[in-house]
Amino acid sequence: MARNGFNDWQHALALAALLWLGLAAPPVPAQTQTQAFADALTAEDTGTGRFPVDSAQRVVTLPDEWSRTRPQEDTPLWYRLHFDAAGVVSQPALLGLYIDRACANVEIQLNGQPLHAAGRMTDPISLACQRPLLVPLPAALLHERANTIDLRLAGYALQRVASRQRAGSLAAPLIGPYDQLHTRHARDTLLAVALPLAAATLLLLTGLVVLVMARLRPRDTHLRYFGALAIGWALITARLWWHDLPLPNYDSELLLASLLPLIALAAVQFLLHYAGWRSRPIEVALYAQCVAMPVSLLLAGPLRIHMIASTWYVLLVLQVLAAMAFYLWSTQRARRRDFWAIALLLGVAAAAVVLELAAQQRLLASPWQRLPQVLMPLAFMAMGLHLVQQYGRALLTAEESRQALESRVREASAEMEKNYAQMAELRVEQVTQQERKRIAADLHDDLGAKLLTIVHTSESERISTLAREALEEMRLSVRGLTGKPVKLIDALGDWRAEVVGRLSQTGVEGEWHAPSDELPQTLSARAYVQTTRILREAVNNIIKHSGASRCSIRCRIDSGDFQLAIQDNGKGIPLELDGRLDRGHGMASMKHRAKQLHGQCLVESGPGYGTVIRLTIPLERHTTTG
Amino acid sequence: MKTILLLEDLPEIRAWLKTLVMEVFPDGQISEAARVHDALELVSAIKFDLALCDLGLPDGSGVAVVERLRETQSECQSVVVTIHDDDEHLFPALQAGAFGYILKEQPRQLITEQLQRMSQGEPPLSPSIARRVIAYFAAQSKPQQPDLMPHVSLTERESEVLLRVAKGFTLPEIGVQLGLSRHTIADYVKQIYRKLNVSSRAEAALEAQRLGLFRR
Repeated sequence: MARNGFNDWQHALALAALLWLGLAAPPVPAQTQTQAFADALTAEDTGTGRFPVDSAQRVVTLPDEWSRTRPQEDTPLWYRLHFDAAGVVSQPALLGLYIDRACANVEIQLNGQPLHAAGRMTDPISLACQRPLLVPLPAALLHERANTIDLRLAGYALQRVASRQRAGSLAAPLIGPYDQLHTRHARDTLLAVALPLAAATLLLLTGLVVLVMARLRPRDTHLRYFGALAIGWALITARLWWHDLPLPNYDSELLLASLLPLIALAAVQFLLHYAGWRSRPIEVALYAQCVAMPVSLLLAGPLRIHMIASTWYVLLVLQVLAAMAFYLWSTQRARRRDFWAIALLLGVAAAAVVLELAAQQRLLASPWQRLPQVLMPLAFMAMGLHLVQQYGRALLTAEESRQALESRVREASAEMEKNYAQMAELRVEQVTQQERKRIAADLHDDLGAKLLTIVHTSESERISTLAREALEEMRLSVRGLTGKPVKLIDALGDWRAEVVGRLSQTGVEGEWHAPSDELPQTLSARAYVQTTRILREAVNNIIKHSGASRCSIRCRIDSGDFQLAIQDNGKGIPLELDGRLDRGHGMASMKHRAKQLHGQCLVESGPGYGTVIRLTIPLERHTTTG
Repeated sequence: MKTILLLEDLPEIRAWLKTLVMEVFPDGQISEAARVHDALELVSAIKFDLALCDLGLPDGSGVAVVERLRETQSECQSVVVTIHDDDEHLFPALQAGAFGYILKEQPRQLITEQLQRMSQGEPPLSPSIARRVIAYFAAQSKPQQPDLMPHVSLTERESEVLLRVAKGFTLPEIGVQLGLSRHTIADYVKQIYRKLNVSSRAEAALEAQRLGLFRR
């Protein structure tokens, strides 16, 4: 009649499934000493606080579910178990009574002595369904042979609760060595209480995090719904360990059942929005459903809660499954990268939902009933992580694109600045060029004409000469203003023609030495003009003051410098009192001009020794500048 | 007797030029004009032997008068009298048919000398003008439509002279270098001026033809 509680293959399979999920519990070796009660004597409670020996009694098979053995009834029920402690009492070991599941609440007496009583036994009865119960059986209270354990179970009829898990039931109690049962109790507590509790807490946090994300990204509406879904599910799970609600059972059942359409709404909307599809009618229908379900439960009254709620469950589960199917269909068409990951998650979630539904319909063995409780939060958390990851990736992408944009803006503005600067430069260049041309024309037309008139009308030869020189100066200045760079070879040609022409006109024997091959160098207009002036001044000096009969001019290019040496055999430049050369001979202005070109002009002279003027101009500076 | 056109807008300079010209050509008959318009009227009425034309005039450029003279009185010698010594101003006048140029501010004696030399067929040529001429003919030697273009090219000797002028050698120096007389060198220069004008006119005609314009 007693059977070993560990040989149940289904139990082992369920454990294996949990182990596979990484929730390993320490293996418990089969222990023959532990026995399960297969049946019990029951009697209706009469309020005496003792097993009513005089009332009608009947035998029930354990585990007992009130929905089968006494539907409609929900008064407390006494269970009487007999056991033989022969050979146990003599041992120093402590015995224990273990009840895997007693719904909703139970009180225990051993041989008439109270052993365990916790929580309320009248409406609202404390819901301790999920909590495995282990009580020690003190040796002092045990008899050698006939021992009696009386259990008083308070609970609700199935019709009064929305979920079968909360209907009155009693698992087969186990009796055996306390330490063995303790191990088992610890494991079952972990699986049935601690794990769902931890999962629910994590789920709550996940939901909150996702809600915060949703607040930061209002455009991603699916985040909002997922947050609501996670939190809603966490609340549902919380009922497992929330023993005492300060509400009558009917009200708390109503509240809990009313949460479900909200969760379904969140789930369906999440899936639709995540697939990028929105429908106003569906949204409205879902909200209407949230009102319709509590109303239907209210109208049906406290005795038809289970029937109505079960119908709604099926409906809600179908909606959610349809939404999942829609999501998969539409994302597969869109070929999203995360399609298979999400498909797997949805598969797990769908399996959990279907298992839960099956459990409600008693289609599932009891150990399997715990699977959805673990699977569901896991699926939710994986989904939550996926969303957080997506969010993070979006954030990263946004940051990257912001940086890319910033750098592009920087580049563009730099480009614009550059273009603007170039345009401004060009404009300045144009305006300058125009202005130079205008000044040049004005100089020729006005100043030129007036100087010319002076040249040809002045009675004084000196004034004519001065005006002529001024005109020449003006012409050079204009060329310096408007001129383009001059090729060095061309400049040499011009200078030669001028110098040799003037010297021959005045009867001075001239000698010109200069490179005559093509030269790559050019002179800026300014350098050309200033050098022309220096040369002209030097030749003027020779013609006017030196009394020389011969003059040689040597030009050469040496390591980037243009060198010009003008030598005559005249009487030289007289020294001033301070030992310096006479400034009246234009030496100062020659030197000044050379300096302006970053070059130098050296004059070597002495009375009777002739004069050598050496001009050096760096060419590089004048090769490219206009 | 020589008929001479004197185109100059500044009265003092014109008067001064007139006395100068009368000095060189004592029996010359001088017609004066201060504007391009007046000068063109004179050109259509009188046949000139010599024309002294300023470039910058109140109603245009003296180049127009030089051009008209070249077209209608090919025997007339046009000389540009200017204060612009740069080839930018002088070259178009030479292309239009001017036979030489005189810089106005030069001393009277020098101008007299130059005028005499020019009237004897010995025009001046500066290095910068020579370079312009070289560049011009270098561009002409590869015309885009060789069949339409009457090809005018310089002889080797003419090019030689131009190159030497461009390097700053004076005409007498070049004569010595090439073993030629002063007159022969002058003839080369004259020929260069003529060819420049012929080629320029051909080019202008071609350009006009290309644009669908006909001058005559």
